[in-house]
Amino acid sequence: MLAYIVRRVWQMVPTLFGVMLLLFVLFNWVGGDPSYILAGKNLSAEALAGIRQQLGLDLPLPQQFLIFVRQVLTLDFGTSWSTQQPVSALLHSRIGPSLLLTGSMLLLGTVLAIAIAALVAYRRGSLTDRLVTLIATCAMSVSALVYIIAGQYWLAFKGGWFPIMGWSDSTLDNLLHYLPLPLLLGVIVGLAPDIRFYRSCFVEELGHDYVRTARAKGLSEPVIMLKHVLRNAMIPVVTSLMMSLPYLMMGAMLLETFFGIPGMGKEVVMAVERSDFPVIKAITIYIALATMLFNLLTDIVYKLIDPRVQLH
Amino acid sequence: MPHSSPPPAAPHPHNSLTRIGWRRLRRDRVGFAALCIVGAYLLLALAAWSGLVASHWQDEVAHPYAPPTLFAGSAPHHLELDAADIDAADRRAASAAAQDSSGATGLSADEDPLAADLAAAEQQSAQYRSAGQARADSLPLGADQRGRDVLQKLLQGSATSLQVGIAGALLALAIGTVLGALSGYFGGLLDDLLMWGYSVFTSVPDMLLLLAFAAVSGRGIGTVVLVMAFTSWTGTFRLMRAEFLKHKGRDYVRAADAIGAGHGRRMFHHILPNVGHLLLVQFSMLTVALIKYEAILSFLGFGVGVTQVSWGAMLAEAPAELLQGYWWQMLAVTLCMSLLVTAFSLLADSLRDALDPKVK
Amino acid sequence: MNPAPPLLSVRKLRVSFRDEHGHGAEAVKGISFDIPAGKTVALVGESGSGKSVTAMAITRLLPEHGCHIDPDSEILFGGRNLLTASRSELRSLRGGDIAMVFQEPMSSLNPVFSVGEQIIETLMLHTGVGRKAAQQRALALMQEVGLPAPERKMRSYPHQLSGGQQQRVMIAMAIACEPKLLIADEPTTALDVTIQQQILQLLASLQQKHGMAVLFISHDLELVGQFADEVIVMHHGSIHEHAPVRQIFEAPQDAYTKALLRCRPHLASRPAKLPVIRDFLGDSCYFEPPQRQRGYQTDDRVILEVQGLSVDYHSRHGWFGHHSQRAVDGVSFTLMRGRTLGIVGESGSGKSTLGLALIRLQQASAGRVLFEGEDMLALTPRQLRDYKRRIQIVFQNPYASLNPRFSVAQILTEPMLLHGIGCDTAERLQLAGDWLEHVGLPRKALAKYPHEFSGGQRQRIAIARCLTMHPEILICDESVSALDVSVQAQVLNLLQALQDELGLSYLFISHDLAVVKHLSDQVLVMQQGRCVELADADTLYAAPQHPYTRQLLDAIPQGWPHCIRPRPA
Repeated sequence: MLAYIVRRVWQMVPTLFGVMLLLFVLFNWVGGDPSYILAGKNLSAEALAGIRQQLGLDLPLPQQFLIFVRQVLTLDFGTSWSTQQPVSALLHSRIGPSLLLTGSMLLLGTVLAIAIAALVAYRRGSLTDRLVTLIATCAMSVSALVYIIAGQYWLAFKGGWFPIMGWSDSTLDNLLHYLPLPLLLGVIVGLAPDIRFYRSCFVEELGHDYVRTARAKGLSEPVIMLKHVLRNAMIPVVTSLMMSLPYLMMGAMLLETFFGIPGMGKEVVMAVERSDFPVIKAITIYIALATMLFNLLTDIVYKLIDPRVQLH
Repeated sequence: MPHSSPPPAAPHPHNSLTRIGWRRLRRDRVGFAALCIVGAYLLLALAAWSGLVASHWQDEVAHPYAPPTLFAGSAPHHLELDAADIDAADRRAASAAAQDSSGATGLSADEDPLAADLAAAEQQSAQYRSAGQARADSLPLGADQRGRDVLQKLLQGSATSLQVGIAGALLALAIGTVLGALSGYFGGLLDDLLMWGYSVFTSVPDMLLLLAFAAVSGRGIGTVVLVMAFTSWTGTFRLMRAEFLKHKGRDYVRAADAIGAGHGRRMFHHILPNVGHLLLVQFSMLTVALIKYEAILSFLGFGVGVTQVSWGAMLAEAPAELLQGYWWQMLAVTLCMSLLVTAFSLLADSLRDALDPKVK
Repeated sequence: MNPAPPLLSVRKLRVSFRDEHGHGAEAVKGISFDIPAGKTVALVGESGSGKSVTAMAITRLLPEHGCHIDPDSEILFGGRNLLTASRSELRSLRGGDIAMVFQEPMSSLNPVFSVGEQIIETLMLHTGVGRKAAQQRALALMQEVGLPAPERKMRSYPHQLSGGQQQRVMIAMAIACEPKLLIADEPTTALDVTIQQQILQLLASLQQKHGMAVLFISHDLELVGQFADEVIVMHHGSIHEHAPVRQIFEAPQDAYTKALLRCRPHLASRPAKLPVIRDFLGDSCYFEPPQRQRGYQTDDRVILEVQGLSVDYHSRHGWFGHHSQRAVDGVSFTLMRGRTLGIVGESGSGKSTLGLALIRLQQASAGRVLFEGEDMLALTPRQLRDYKRRIQIVFQNPYASLNPRFSVAQILTEPMLLHGIGCDTAERLQLAGDWLEHVGLPRKALAKYPHEFSGGQRQRIAIARCLTMHPEILICDESVSALDVSVQAQVLNLLQALQDELGLSYLFISHDLAVVKHLSDQVLVMQQGRCVELADADTLYAAPQHPYTRQLLDAIPQGWPHCIRPRPA
């Protein structure tokens, strides 16, 4: 197991290198010269040269890449171009709210989706099943934007049941006061596709021969569903869940933007608006690292729930 | 030589799988209805694109926030804004995105790089205004803040969104299929290399990658299509790689090898038609995903250009309108978009069932 | 003497399936039969005969959607009609009084639970014992079905066991609650012939020991002849003959039963042409054709000589690790022009890999393949082209070997196009039609697609595709194994006729020793990649030298009266 983990970590090196290369090509080559954006209208030659020197843009490309590699290895991405804050400090302060929002969203959404999916898969072909599937299909088709705009307007602005937006320093206050509405909307947006996916996992498992064996043994349908099928259906479900974990870090971008939650998602949007390249690069690297680690973790969890999987 | 068994009891002789799939789709009422809806949207988009309809969506033909005809009486009374108010509103809206950054980098309004464009736009709108058309009190789907017809905007926006979704999906599909086919069919070093690229692109979430691309590229339909294609080819790649890997070991491909068919012939003449139905399903799903992405990108201001309209750009006006009680633009966009996306999703489901060669 | 009431009575069972458009197809057409307590009844038929549907109907395991059981049907078990029994009644019967064993042990076991757990589950459900007691009983059961090291195997997962062991677990699970009736649906079809014999012996001994009735479903009359008391022959959903096993084999009444018995090749005889079902259906009496002599002759010319051929499979572990496994290990043989070399072996013996390596569909790692003196393995791809035309292959699965998106015309003209046979499309189509008629299909089949044909017809198309290139050698890789017995005979006759007419040389690869004997002049026996015996067919079958060959020959089901247990008088 340990040897496997070591090998897998070792295999992350080329992938991480690839991500760095992609970002470098994107921001230092395709992106053009950001000093024009920073200098604004005062395009005096000296000012430009100053900025370029300050950002290290006057160096040859290979050297710039080496600087970037060093930044990644030390996880020190310098200062934000727009706020002059150190990037690492900035992101550190953003990660908490994001995790709080998306973590609770994931937990609530998954439990609900699995429960509903198992129920409709168990009664597949029935009116309930067709109704839920139809509603889920229609619900999926409405843009997330609409849910959020409408929810914020009717539930917060018109209904007054929730604060329209905001965030405080106290976690308890956030949990009780500011979190519920974004959480609710996030769960609603995510529920429909999850139900459809989990239902298809369950239904596929129900078609396997071992289900027939379980019936031939005389097991009752609920036992077959909850013991034999659930355990097998968990394999794709857990995979998709683990894969979605890195997104936790990025947060729910739209929700954070709408509800003024100072998280990673909002930070990304603002950084893109301001062409704050160091922040975008740093967030991308962090998320890529998290994705790779979670992929590894997925394989290990996979091993735990599926005895057929061999790690090598 | 005796015949092996009674002649096949096929109701219609000489049916290729494609024709059977098509017939199955036509029998599937939901799927066929979805296909018709998608087709209707495509026709509308083509018409709007070629300028047959909705080419004058930018004309300010009604009073600002003129209500839909049906609700002309009960809609919230709209404020009579004069030209100055509209100007101010325009300016606020246009520079809203720039405000944060200009504050941070110490730009004053005069140094605003958009100032020149704004001035030109103002002049232009002043010309329109001086033309002194009679402005309508109500329109079929109402009017927006500047008195533009929501119906016209909707048609034009649908065309843009569809164009972006379909072009992006096609491009992503092409990239994913070619790379996936090469990777799965040949394997070895080429596969390693392409898989490396795949793992690089998938280790960054779609939306983040989209925004990173958007950060360095400008706005506009072409850019959005490219950005979306570059970030969403990975799903098709993985699918096609797995399929080609599977099919290259199938007996019919081996038989093709035995009769002397070369690599290219085996890949594109033998295998590709057998995975084509998956590509069609993938295309439907990808188009849906990209239409949704486009809405979000345009909403955030990284999508289509300021002189173009799309569903996302229209939704971006919705929060401010809702606060004043003008709900029609948002409702129109939501319904229009949902109908298309539902139709596409149902079509994808039906295609999957109808074209599956296993199900007889 | 008043006969005891039967354990199970099936009365006028009628089952039909409906597709989504309401088109019904009757799978079982009002059949009636009894299963006496403690007896073994075999249900025999080819695919589509309705035998499995009958078994599933007894335990009510047919899918609920699209399946209709006629309300007049009755299945009486212990006085109760199973077709009207409540769900809970059914549940207590299933796994309790009626147990089942299925065809595919691997997929029939739940992959994520240990096999011990799956046996314990059945025990706790039906006998109401505690976990501890169930564990003890499960251990005893696993011992009884002959699983080695049962303590360790208890904790194993299905994928860690071999196919035979998995089926033993399924049997242990089935007999756990001392059922009165065991339904075994093709329990040995997915297994190798030697394993099949072991499982049959196990079933037979368990049946006697526990005194249970067995309903044994199989396509293989010879196989069930070995231990059934009664045999029911089904065809197209109805019963053709129901008689004691002795009568079925010694004095069959029904023409279809006679045909089934005769159209399978036997070890003892080699008719010039195998009988097919229609030979028995008419009024005319069937006359046995003369026997055919086989074996290499001294004046035969060598067409293919294989020397020390080895094939390695390479699998990669991660980015740097390599792992290789030898699938074929130094095999040598000679094929004479116009003759057949049979290659037999069980799954994993490397026989199919050998066939693929000969035509370079699989990379060989050592050895030479001399085709009229030219080493095919050393040829450049360009030089290989012409040799490829002359040595062709027919695969096992007729459903997989034809491109489903091509019409028959496309399938048959493509090789001609690639090899420049025929000058234009019209001529190629003409030739393709000629070949179709040659293999016994009508010319108008050209416009159809593969899915419109039955398995046997598809195999004819696959053969025609090879013939369009005028090959000299045909490799038949399990080419008749997936076909029903009656269809198999027709395809074997076709292959024989083509060899006589066109002077083709065959490499006939199969796991079925009887079929190989029928067609082969020489036979090569493979075990784990190695050639263990190579001899003239008649010599090899009459006096096998290698113990493995003897083991294989002993395992061939020979039907009544070669029963595998003493039959109670």
